[in-house]
Amino acid sequence: MLKKYRRYKHPYIITSIIILSLLLFLSLAAPLLTNYNPVRNDARNRLKAPSAVHFLGTDQFGRDVFTRILYGLRASLEVGLAVVFLTVLTGGIVGVLAGFYPGLDKFIMRILDALMAFPGIIIAISLAAIWGAGKLNIILALSFAYFPKMARIVRSSVVAIKDLDYVESARAAGARDSRIIAAYILRNSASPIMVQATFNFALAILDEAALSFLGVGIMPPAPSLGAMITEARNYMVVAPWLIIAPGIMIILSVLSLNLLGDGLRDLLDPHLKNSFKK
Amino acid sequence: MLNKKKSIYVGLLVIIFLVAFSTALFAQDQEHYGGTMNAAFQMSVAHLDSDNSTDSMITTMMNHVYEGLFEFDENLKLQPHLAESYQVLKNGLEYKVKLRKNVMMHNGQTMNADDVIASFQRWLKINNAGQLVEPYFDKVEKIDNYNLVFKFKEPYAPFLNLLASPVSNQKFVVRSKEIVDKFGTDVITEHVGTGPYKFAEWIPDQKLVLTRFDDYTPSPLEASFFAGKRTAYYDKIVFNFIPDAQVRVSGVQTGQFQFAEEVPRDQYQLFEANPDIKNIIIYPDRMAMFITNNGIPPFNNKYARQAIVYALDFEELGYAMIGDSKFWRLESALHEKGNPWHVENAGQGIYGVYDPEKAKELLKKANYDGTPLVILSGQDNEMERQGAIAIKDQLEKIGIKVDLQLFDRPTVVEKRSQKTGWNIHLSPFIKVVPDPQIHQGWTGTNKWISNWDSKESHQMDQIFAELLQEVNYQKRYQIMEKLETEMWDSVPYFNILDYSRLHIIRSEVKNFKAGWQPFFWNSYLE
Repeated sequence: MLKKYRRYKHPYIITSIIILSLLLFLSLAAPLLTNYNPVRNDARNRLKAPSAVHFLGTDQFGRDVFTRILYGLRASLEVGLAVVFLTVLTGGIVGVLAGFYPGLDKFIMRILDALMAFPGIIIAISLAAIWGAGKLNIILALSFAYFPKMARIVRSSVVAIKDLDYVESARAAGARDSRIIAAYILRNSASPIMVQATFNFALAILDEAALSFLGVGIMPPAPSLGAMITEARNYMVVAPWLIIAPGIMIILSVLSLNLLGDGLRDLLDPHLKNSFKK
Repeated sequence: MLNKKKSIYVGLLVIIFLVAFSTALFAQDQEHYGGTMNAAFQMSVAHLDSDNSTDSMITTMMNHVYEGLFEFDENLKLQPHLAESYQVLKNGLEYKVKLRKNVMMHNGQTMNADDVIASFQRWLKINNAGQLVEPYFDKVEKIDNYNLVFKFKEPYAPFLNLLASPVSNQKFVVRSKEIVDKFGTDVITEHVGTGPYKFAEWIPDQKLVLTRFDDYTPSPLEASFFAGKRTAYYDKIVFNFIPDAQVRVSGVQTGQFQFAEEVPRDQYQLFEANPDIKNIIIYPDRMAMFITNNGIPPFNNKYARQAIVYALDFEELGYAMIGDSKFWRLESALHEKGNPWHVENAGQGIYGVYDPEKAKELLKKANYDGTPLVILSGQDNEMERQGAIAIKDQLEKIGIKVDLQLFDRPTVVEKRSQKTGWNIHLSPFIKVVPDPQIHQGWTGTNKWISNWDSKESHQMDQIFAELLQEVNYQKRYQIMEKLETEMWDSVPYFNILDYSRLHIIRSEVKNFKAGWQPFFWNSYLE
């Protein structure tokens, strides 16, 4: 399958993979790229403009902005990955149950409909406000907000696949439900799940920034791109670097993930993939 | 004969000149009238009844509507305001007060002793400061419509200072008896006072509108901050509640607002360069108070409390909490320099002595077991938030584990009222305090939030009891010195530094005086 895809050079995918790799490298190699501690203050050197000593200047506590961006990026990617894992897991299980067992379908889908009636960010803000701020609580809140959509996508895929001939053959050959689901249905549902997971990743980064911006996200002094923007609001006139740098990072990460999602959707959609063949 | 004629001509000329000059002056003064003062304030209020709240914003706004018997002038000196004169009799057991006559109220009636007595009894019952006075108070007697006497069971030295207090809601203001009778202790929603402006409209969380009171009767004294003559030049004052600092700034920059309260201090230079805007620094204004929960370990031990003072680099905290050193200064005393209660050598040997090793030693002496210290702080106040983050950093540097908990204001207030669950809290206190007795409400056995009950707190109670009884200033000052010494030995809480807020005002606003609480009488638009 992969071999087949090597023949395609999708510009979105290439661009996004380059940017994502760079961001991943920056966040993972943070301790090698900077000597500063992201949470240690040096207030006597607050709001210093970018210089050779502080590549992106310092913030209101005299902390190195470049260092905080690297660690903030790491936090964002951690949240994004964890949310993707949890939404795929929970959405996958619920979606398969609804799609594969008609008896459960109506019951599960009505609950999902009710959850989807609320915008995801509202659910996330409410849960984060109830559970309190913190990385784990954000991950759980965002996962809860996103899993209904993932479950719906998985369910649609399962419903479409479960009556196909090869599934029927497997059932006739005596395969158990678990085997049919794992070997035949999920394997063939991978494409929409992957695309949705990529969008969820981008959305999680954006919503984590939004939650931190609203004060219910990652607790200070831990770095977070959203919280850095919140704190920078009061200094943006005198120290614009405080808001520009984390803003660009959020744009880059969300844009690259969205491009990847778009690219994968185009590539995996049999109706669109030929248009990118070269 | 000729000389007589000459004298008549000269006399006539002088009269003509004087008439012309005074007419010109009158015309010039008339020119100042008119326009609207649109002011942007950061926090809204729940209601407008100062006796029923601890919110100083209510007093700030309603100072335009209500006036006190006494008010403080620019030099923090008490001046009679609605009172004409007063006498302290029987060694502080009686205060005889004569009221000004023909002072109009907003309902068209003149103020008299009945209004004062009704308002005072309500103040005594529900106002926090009134409740402090109440145990010592006997009764208020009306002599006639303009004379009354306040009688005490025991001397209460700070009485007059408390009546005019600029701290939060403490000030006693005169309301119409009719309204006091109507509302009793409930929150007053109809406002009839004697001030230069009268209540017009209040839209919660949005704005309060006051309009000029044309029949206002000003004090005959010279204008000086809250005391003396008040002139209402603006037709209307609108207090707008704008929580976002940048919006308040933009409003003044574009001319939408004439005044903005508490704007980012880091933008000082930008405002300085803008000819349309004037910076207003009110100094001294606030103290950044470090409060410990003295009811539970480790801070139920005074060595642990002393250790914290040695563990903190106050100067570094100043930069982190407030920023530019123009806006803060290290100050150990509870009262600022220039205040009659300022004690020069308060905290000598401990305040500002950054000694982490000594801090560790003292923590060991206090048997601190290394349990993480919970810092409980507000998200919305810049000083509290930045201070909490900076204190966490400094304590962690010397190996103390810290759990930082930042919440919105109502949650902080709820959590800090608990006996457990927190160890450290930061709070801004008003610096301009007219009497050391004000601290009684904060310090002493189980006062305010410090949960302090030990032999040191009992000693502090004793000092306050002495302060209450003593009416001689010199002797009271000596007790104040003792209070500061005891404060810095037992450290129930301490002042990290004094700091100033930055307000901005449009250049077309003239004669604005920067009081501890902004006020808009006597200023006008050019």
